[in-house]
Amino acid sequence: MHARVLVVLAMRNLRRQLRRTLLTASAMIIGGGLLIFSLSFGDGSHEQWIDSGVRLGTGHVTVERPEFRLRRRIDDRLPAEVRRTVEQAFASPEIAPFVVATSSKLSINGLASSAAGARPAQIMAVDPVQESAFGMLDEQVAEGRYLEPDDRLAAYVGAEMVESLELRLGSRFVVQAQDADGEIAGQLLRVVGTFRSGVPEVDLSMIHIPLATAGEWLGSEEDVTNVGVLLNGSAATARVADRLERVLADPVARGEARVMRWRDADPALAAAVAIDDFGNYLVQAFLFIIIAFGIVNTVLMSVMHRHREFGVLQALGLTPGQTGTVVLIEGFTLTVISGFLGVGIGMLCTWYFLGDGLDLTAMMENLDEMTFSGVAVDPVIVPLFTARRIVQVLVFILVVGAMASIYPALRASRIDVTEAMKFDR
Amino acid sequence: MSPITDTNNAAVRTAGVWKIFQQEAEEVRAVRDVSLTVDRGEFTALAGPSGSGKTTLLNLIGGLTRPTRGQVWVAGREVSEMSNRELAKLRLEQVGFVFQAYNLLPVLTALENAEFPMLLQGVDAAERRARVQELFARTGMEGLEDRRPGKLSGGQQQRVAVVRAVVSRPALVLADEPTANLDSHSSEALLDVMAELNRDLGVTFVFATHDVRVMERSRRLVRMVDGNIDSDETRA
Repeated sequence: MHARVLVVLAMRNLRRQLRRTLLTASAMIIGGGLLIFSLSFGDGSHEQWIDSGVRLGTGHVTVERPEFRLRRRIDDRLPAEVRRTVEQAFASPEIAPFVVATSSKLSINGLASSAAGARPAQIMAVDPVQESAFGMLDEQVAEGRYLEPDDRLAAYVGAEMVESLELRLGSRFVVQAQDADGEIAGQLLRVVGTFRSGVPEVDLSMIHIPLATAGEWLGSEEDVTNVGVLLNGSAATARVADRLERVLADPVARGEARVMRWRDADPALAAAVAIDDFGNYLVQAFLFIIIAFGIVNTVLMSVMHRHREFGVLQALGLTPGQTGTVVLIEGFTLTVISGFLGVGIGMLCTWYFLGDGLDLTAMMENLDEMTFSGVAVDPVIVPLFTARRIVQVLVFILVVGAMASIYPALRASRIDVTEAMKFDR
Repeated sequence: MSPITDTNNAAVRTAGVWKIFQQEAEEVRAVRDVSLTVDRGEFTALAGPSGSGKTTLLNLIGGLTRPTRGQVWVAGREVSEMSNRELAKLRLEQVGFVFQAYNLLPVLTALENAEFPMLLQGVDAAERRARVQELFARTGMEGLEDRRPGKLSGGQQQRVAVVRAVVSRPALVLADEPTANLDSHSSEALLDVMAELNRDLGVTFVFATHDVRVMERSRRLVRMVDGNIDSDETRA
């Protein structure tokens, strides 16, 4: 019975100070909405960075030899048995629903040279069809075209490298690298297309060639150094990687393979996401500290204003704890309603941008140079909703609201009844 | 610790009660060594000039403040050592208050204000309504049940406060200057109501008052000076 009385008192008091209640609720609703809006766009842009990074690299999860990442040598090819196991795992019901594309690559360091000079090169031998679905470089053609399945001596070269080696579409140039027998081997290639990824270091060093060409050139046949998978979201990374680690337990134990998550494969990108997240959290925490002070101020003002009432309530038989509970219920109710409304409104506002995203092109000058930790930044940000994030925001708002109500509730519970009765507002 | 039970069946008994306030460096002895017994069914006024200690004594009896020394029994229970929770329970079950400034809860209607102590006691709705309606009829408040305090006159608000004080059938009603904010007509009407409740229902009233009308209507008049009882006069 007491609980019902306390709730009725709290609700009536909120309604009694309607303007004050609405003002505080508005601050919380706007704060909650902004929080969802900014976090959804933050998560969306991070997902785009990750997507861009993993497409340019080796996927959300990649399987390679433990030594590969340090040396990038042809000796670090995956055993055929491991490659088969990985490809079977990708097709398994546990992983297949998350898979967007897979790509098996032979990735080595080499030297590209022309009559104009020579440059170190990252040579990536790919299956053109697989890579078109996996990467983004095929969409970033500056001149010519991307590799095609029937290409033999074709090369798809970064525009900066083409300029550096004074090549042009159709030009021939030579690549050299260590072959499967440990000898230096050269290969004549023809430029069939050039690309601009937006990342200068990639445009200056990356060369895509057909996997079959590399097999003949280096004597590696169809061997690859990496088997990567592109997932339908970075959230599935851990699940897929864990599954792969289970199926590859033996080769991993023998040191023939290791499963790498994108965070391990690209620590700079992982750090960039973490730093950006931290910055966002900091700004949002400040925002909510300000809102929390607003709640404290409003509820406290309400408590001070009702000093005599709290005295009367205690004179009539309410305990100090019950008196404080009335204030807690008021603060918590305000927070719950405002929190849900804020999150709902934030989701509605964000939902508007789900299709085409928010185009920030006008705010970004010199887009060719817009890179972040080796990843090209897309000026169109598509927000991302996740249930986990929405629950986090709701819990955060409720905790802030509850915490902000504690001090006023304590003040209400600790009044001196006889003094309160003298209080004349 | 369970409260000591007073064998005397008085509504109120105080024994050597002191209340000393510390105001900066100065000690203010608001109540000094007061021993007083109020039997059940009495209609008693504590009179005296401002600062004589009558409101403080009322607060001590009602468990709103604790004595510095001495003991207070209400309905046979010693209150001085009670916890805050026990004091709240005592006030809820044994004591009704009527204040000079009415002190109705502005968010509740007249009826809700009147039934508030019974809500806290867990009395069922039908019983609550029946008791309030009966007392509203006695106090001339019929038809005003749904009005908020802001829509009632001072006299009407004080009548609601009186109903609230007696409706839960406490052992004792403590009224601090209940007529101070009322005109003479409203004061007389209110005193009539309280006298009737005292006579018909046996409710014990203890007033702290300056009002001559209240003193004249009381059957016992206790005069206080400088925190102590100066005279104690019972009328026929």
